[in-house]
Amino acid sequence: MIGTIARKELTELSRDGRFRLLAAVILVLAVASTAAGWLQFTAVSRQHAEAQRETREQWLGQQEKNPHSAAHYGVYAFKPASHLSIVDTGLDPYLGVAVWLEAHRQSEMKFRPAQDRTAIQRFGELNGAEVLLVLVPLFILLVTFPVFAGEREQGTLRQLMSLGVAPRLLVAGKALGTLAAVALVIVPVSALAAVAMAWASADSYLAADVSRTVALGATCLVYFLVVTGVGLAVSAWAPSSRVALVTLLGFWFATSLVAPRIATDVAGSLHPTPNAAEFQRALDADLSDPEEARQRLARLQAETLTKYNVTSLDALPVAFSGLSLQSGEDHGNEVFDRHFGRLHDQFSNQARVYQWAGLASPLLAARSLSMALAGTDFEQHRHFAKAAEAYRRDIQRTLNDDIARNQRAGQPYLAGTELWSRVPDFTYDAPSIGWVLGRQATALTVLAGWLTLAGALALLATRRLSATLG
Amino acid sequence: MLARIIRHEWQMLKADAVLWVIVAIVGSAIAYGVWNGTRWVHFQEGAIEAARSEERVRFDRLTAQLEKVAAGERVSPFADPRSPSNLGSRLAAKVAVLPPAPLGALTVGQSDLLPSYVRVSTESREAVLASTEVESPLRLLTGRFDLAFVVVYLVPLLVLALAYSMVSGEKEQGTLSMVLAQPVSLGTLVAAKVVVRAAALLVIIVGLGLGTLLMTGVSLADAATRERLLWWVASVAAYMGLWFAIALVGVSLGRGSAATATLLAGLWLLLVVIVPSALTLGVQQLYPVPSRVALVQATRVASDEANAQGARLLAAYYEDHPELATGDAEQAMTDFNVVRLAVNDDIEKRVRPVVAQFDEQLSSQQALVERFRVLSPALVVHEALSDLSGSGQQRHRHFVSQVSGFHDEWRRFFTQKVVAKTPVADLSSLPTFTYSEEPSSALRARMMATLATLLVPAVLLGGLAFIRLRRYAIAG
Repeated sequence: MIGTIARKELTELSRDGRFRLLAAVILVLAVASTAAGWLQFTAVSRQHAEAQRETREQWLGQQEKNPHSAAHYGVYAFKPASHLSIVDTGLDPYLGVAVWLEAHRQSEMKFRPAQDRTAIQRFGELNGAEVLLVLVPLFILLVTFPVFAGEREQGTLRQLMSLGVAPRLLVAGKALGTLAAVALVIVPVSALAAVAMAWASADSYLAADVSRTVALGATCLVYFLVVTGVGLAVSAWAPSSRVALVTLLGFWFATSLVAPRIATDVAGSLHPTPNAAEFQRALDADLSDPEEARQRLARLQAETLTKYNVTSLDALPVAFSGLSLQSGEDHGNEVFDRHFGRLHDQFSNQARVYQWAGLASPLLAARSLSMALAGTDFEQHRHFAKAAEAYRRDIQRTLNDDIARNQRAGQPYLAGTELWSRVPDFTYDAPSIGWVLGRQATALTVLAGWLTLAGALALLATRRLSATLG
Repeated sequence: MLARIIRHEWQMLKADAVLWVIVAIVGSAIAYGVWNGTRWVHFQEGAIEAARSEERVRFDRLTAQLEKVAAGERVSPFADPRSPSNLGSRLAAKVAVLPPAPLGALTVGQSDLLPSYVRVSTESREAVLASTEVESPLRLLTGRFDLAFVVVYLVPLLVLALAYSMVSGEKEQGTLSMVLAQPVSLGTLVAAKVVVRAAALLVIIVGLGLGTLLMTGVSLADAATRERLLWWVASVAAYMGLWFAIALVGVSLGRGSAATATLLAGLWLLLVVIVPSALTLGVQQLYPVPSRVALVQATRVASDEANAQGARLLAAYYEDHPELATGDAEQAMTDFNVVRLAVNDDIEKRVRPVVAQFDEQLSSQQALVERFRVLSPALVVHEALSDLSGSGQQRHRHFVSQVSGFHDEWRRFFTQKVVAKTPVADLSSLPTFTYSEEPSSALRARMMATLATLLVPAVLLGGLAFIRLRRYAIAG
């Protein structure tokens, strides 16, 4: 029975010129956005990989110099693009791509790609996720609004109901027909995107990426089911197809355009962040407090003298300059952890509010999941920033230890390639899918809740379906 | 006759629940949008004040240090408050501010992405301009719920909601043929319907918009602000007019209400959502801006090379800048700060082509956007609204060019002092920055162009619709 109903819906749709036009438009946009995503990904990956190699060469190619000069010379870390950013660029345009790792300071990641674009980007980026999560649902709503309301107006609903089909089967059949129509558009595009991703990363397509891709596909599917359920429920409930259409367009506008804005506003009000000047002032005040530095150095001096059981710094078997530099780093690290930690916690909290806001708009839960799976959400940006910072701290410790060991009072000390190569190359491993989904528990729960709700609504509305107009 | 129909239509519209639903939606959206924009302006003002207060504290400390040094206290050369090199690069760096414009609360525009204050020092221009405001990336991606959002996205939908069943609705109810049995043409009837709806919507939007704006405490004392408000009203009215014309074309096709609604919703989607994002995609493909990573690396390579050459660059530098050459050449050649000047100068010379590439690609993108903006009225009106609020690319570019000028002046000032080794004794002699607004004639020209871009197609489409309406099948 389900099959028959689904087949009827699909046949009817495929004969509708409007459906064919819409399907063609979505297909073209999906192909264009995937192609653009692919080009962007390959360009960025190549540039970043090359730069990462160059920065390593520059580090190793340093002439003989004091290790602390090398620490100031520093290295750069460049954020690698994730494979799934071909589909969802997420927050990447609004987050920095490079960070300088030098002595004394943790820097913020710099250079947001968005600043090198024209103002029209703020109308939204056309990427695979935008097509899947915003345009396809609209397509679904335009397909579902007349499913019951239209049949009622044509008078065929009375006949259909006289057959005694169980509402359960009726809903399932109609939903299946709609989704089959959607699949006609989505499946070729998904296949294309999969090929593009595999091609873009011939040798490095990881098992982790496959599971992320599958999870992303599942997220979209669940979201489509939610939208289909809502569409069918409204179509069954609405007195006319006109009302069904207006209601569903209103639903789409509210959930896709209004809700994200209000959600980020609420998130920003609940978890405010300081302005850049204020943040910098507070950081500098804690970082370079002369009184703190004086006391810290006095303490370090006393402790060191006791430890080595000597009475003057000159008698130490190690260079005090190395110890004091590292003590400055340790103090700085504690300050950076506090300040950047607080700031980044606020951004993470905002993202959590966004997941909860999925209760008001299922799109928010789906988009949160999509960005997370694509590796373009804030949590994974933070994961990278943390890894880069840990690497910076390793470099500083290695260099300062070397100064402490080898510098002799009153003599210039120069280190060379041997020391530079003792600093390992920077490698970054993206977090596992378990790590990612663990941080998306709210979005997962909310989306599952929506799926249940939409299914129940559709079923309920079909049970109370009235075959007559008015 | 027209007046009587208008009166009658107004009675009908008043009795229709749709109008009051629209008033409720628009009212709350406008109030929220303006409130939101005002909060953003307050945030910006707070940030600017924080930056200025940091500068004040720094200068107070500097003054105190200068007095101590004058009284004979010894300081390390790296912290010497008289050294022009220290002052120009760090100690006396000045904050250049782009203050929010009087109507800033109406459109957030690009002001959340492009910095409204920068710290000008003798560092490179790129380093000076690279500063960013701390802002949630999620909010940057999503965009703001400001009044411009309401106008650009919501208003066209309301126009379409009011207009799509103007004729087909009456036809479906069976009243159309009865009305047209009176001595009135369909054209007159439709004109009356449009006038009533457009006037009602315009009064609601402009009334509520200006009302909320005034409640937030915007002062109208300034003539320039009043002029901008008038342009704002004109742009919104023209945008609405264009959408009424588009709706009329849909209506004149003579399809049923549901079919007309679907068609118009599709057009809205195309013009407001799809064309802008497709255009974004297109310009990025045609003129791709490389990743800034390329600039990072180019700067790195250039500074390695320049540093390796070190003192040798100084001789070349003096050849380029003979006016700076001092009598005591020997001493100048070994001076650390002067060598650094020469090195930085050389780095910038080497990096300039890479920087130019970014600027070129971006201005090519911008040129392309200008050419194709007309494809979407949403883009046209959003640009105009940002412009009027002073939060668009236009005003920011004006700011950046002034900052560049100030940066040059700042560097010249300190370069001379570094080379001549003249200590700075008086902080009030340092160059200062004040932003000067663009002349209003430039704005006026842009606004005229905007109105023309919106009104010409509106008139053409409206005319087309009225011609088609003559052949409208009234019965059947």
